[in-house]
Amino acid sequence: MENERFFGVNWQSMDARMPPEMNSGAAAADQLPNSFLNLGWEQPMHHDAHFESALSSLVSSPSSNTPAGNDSVIIGELIGRLGSICNSGEVSPPSRYQSANNSCYSTPLNSPPKLNLSSMDHQQQGRGGVPVPGNQMAAGNFSPFAADPGFAERAARFSCFGARGYAGLGGQFGLPEAGKLSRVSSCQSLKAVLMGASDNGKEVPVLEPERPETETRSKFGGEAEFGNSQEASSVSDRVTAVGAENNARKRKAASKGKAKGAPLSSSNKNPPKPSDGENSDAKRCKPAETDGADKDAAVKPKTEEKGDVGRKQGEEGNAKPPEPPKDYIHVRARRGQATDSHSLAERVRREKISERMKLLQDLVPGCNKVTGKALMLDEIINYVQSLQRQVEFLSMKLAALNPQLDFNMEALLPKDVSLCILFNPLGQLPQQVYPLDMASTAFSYAQQPQGTPLQSIVTNSLDVQGSLNPLESSLRRPPTMQLPRLDGFADATSQLGNLWEDDLQYVVQMGLGQSQGTAFSSQSMPVE
Amino acid sequence: MDSKSSACSSPNPNPTLGPSKLMLAFRFLRALSLVRRTTPASSRTCRGRRIERAAYASMAYSAGASRAWSRAVLRRLHHRARRRAVAPRRLSTTAGNRAEALRRLVPGGAGMDYCTLLEETADYIKCLSMQVELMQGIVDSASSYGP
Repeated sequence: MENERFFGVNWQSMDARMPPEMNSGAAAADQLPNSFLNLGWEQPMHHDAHFESALSSLVSSPSSNTPAGNDSVIIGELIGRLGSICNSGEVSPPSRYQSANNSCYSTPLNSPPKLNLSSMDHQQQGRGGVPVPGNQMAAGNFSPFAADPGFAERAARFSCFGARGYAGLGGQFGLPEAGKLSRVSSCQSLKAVLMGASDNGKEVPVLEPERPETETRSKFGGEAEFGNSQEASSVSDRVTAVGAENNARKRKAASKGKAKGAPLSSSNKNPPKPSDGENSDAKRCKPAETDGADKDAAVKPKTEEKGDVGRKQGEEGNAKPPEPPKDYIHVRARRGQATDSHSLAERVRREKISERMKLLQDLVPGCNKVTGKALMLDEIINYVQSLQRQVEFLSMKLAALNPQLDFNMEALLPKDVSLCILFNPLGQLPQQVYPLDMASTAFSYAQQPQGTPLQSIVTNSLDVQGSLNPLESSLRRPPTMQLPRLDGFADATSQLGNLWEDDLQYVVQMGLGQSQGTAFSSQSMPVE
Repeated sequence: MDSKSSACSSPNPNPTLGPSKLMLAFRFLRALSLVRRTTPASSRTCRGRRIERAAYASMAYSAGASRAWSRAVLRRLHHRARRRAVAPRRLSTTAGNRAEALRRLVPGGAGMDYCTLLEETADYIKCLSMQVELMQGIVDSASSYGP
């Protein structure tokens, strides 16, 4: 239940009830580890940004121009910090990293007063695992952070840092939780961990280098938005800065409309959380979000002026809502495709339809040459009609057939009940899926002895389309054996018929066992 | 006991495998023999109708209840609709109502969305062609072997 609620929260960024739920959920004792994780990891992300600023001063700009070795150190530190802070135990970093981390961590963070707050709540979270204060406080310090003028640069740097760092993470440490970890990394800015383990897990290995970037960027989006509600002017500056720096990468992100959609949602959710700290702002945010995608888009125009960044994020904001109702039909918009809910749904539908059309194309003769759906549909309609007419015509023809066929029919299906008794017990064999092979072998056995036209009818007309099981074909005799043993066939079929007629529900549902098939063979073969 | 009850004697035992030709043939032949036995040879149109109904019924039973069209056919048969199982009509297949035409052709297609309709159509076509093949085989063999 908790899970579902969190899903709801994750997916519906505009959800108005999100903040209370978040809080209550966090406060709840039975909180799921997932949500814990979410909360836990989400904060470190913000913190990462802070930390990065510190790092950049300590280590000489590690993200931009560091060789691999340096990177690894940073990564280690990252891991260490994450591990120690979040107390998740998933990441087991080398201890020296940890210690080094902590020292770095404490010093730079203590310098700015806002960051102090965040560090406090991170530690709180890590130790006590109490996400509530963490949330609130993170919310609290999140906004000042957003106002930080130098944030854009730092964050931008962080984005590459994150990209490299997390790409390295899995490989370097070879953690069993690599998937989880990468997921966490990709979802850091968000609570999209729940977005679907499989999806993320699958994608991350491939997209890992790019993903964190997109996420961080989407986080920017959220922040930008948030900032908008707070102080539009500074935001615009910031976003332009970010946009300028990240423009090239933004393209990539756009192609992954969905991956970003979720992140954005969570980042959109961040603002409401701050609401605890600053209610007035949150109230301004919330109405906009509750109104849904349209309103979201309406909020965006401000950022839109700044170019790609804002617009794409707006699209992503729109794209996200469709996903929850669809329940894990993950649709990915390709590059240049629209990502709003209706387009996605429509695309899915169209794909399905074309798939079925292909299926029909194979079925309907002459449909391959036709191009265009309308013509194909015409062809299909004509074919169905012709088939129906054929059935009508053939049934009339059958009705008009001479009595010879009558005799054949009677011979084929006599009302001989003698052997039926023998087989009834067999019909009540224990549950089995109806063994089609057995039935058909039995039938083929039954067909063998008789030399009447019906053999050729059944074999010819039925086997034309292939799909004979090997057993049957192997058992079928060559047509040279044409003994007019009508009684054998009659017996066999009558058994079949009686079986079906007598215990219809029973026998057929339960299935004819293998023993029956063999019994059939043993019975009918000696007849020859 | 008429063609209907005989043809409906057993539900499709294995719906996952799709219609089995042998089951279809068996059902249809049995129904055919019953029709021949129970209806007078004089009334050929009546016989023809019953045979046709038997054909659709055996098709539907072979297809199983998982298919909407087979359910629709059987519902129609069970409710003893006066009209024939599937009445072939001249349909106006203008550009606008192709889907509508298909809907009217495929039993039970009235309330379907387009996707499902196409799926059902595919299955229906499969069964129908199988049935036609079978009937054609019977007719051919009867006419060739008969006097």
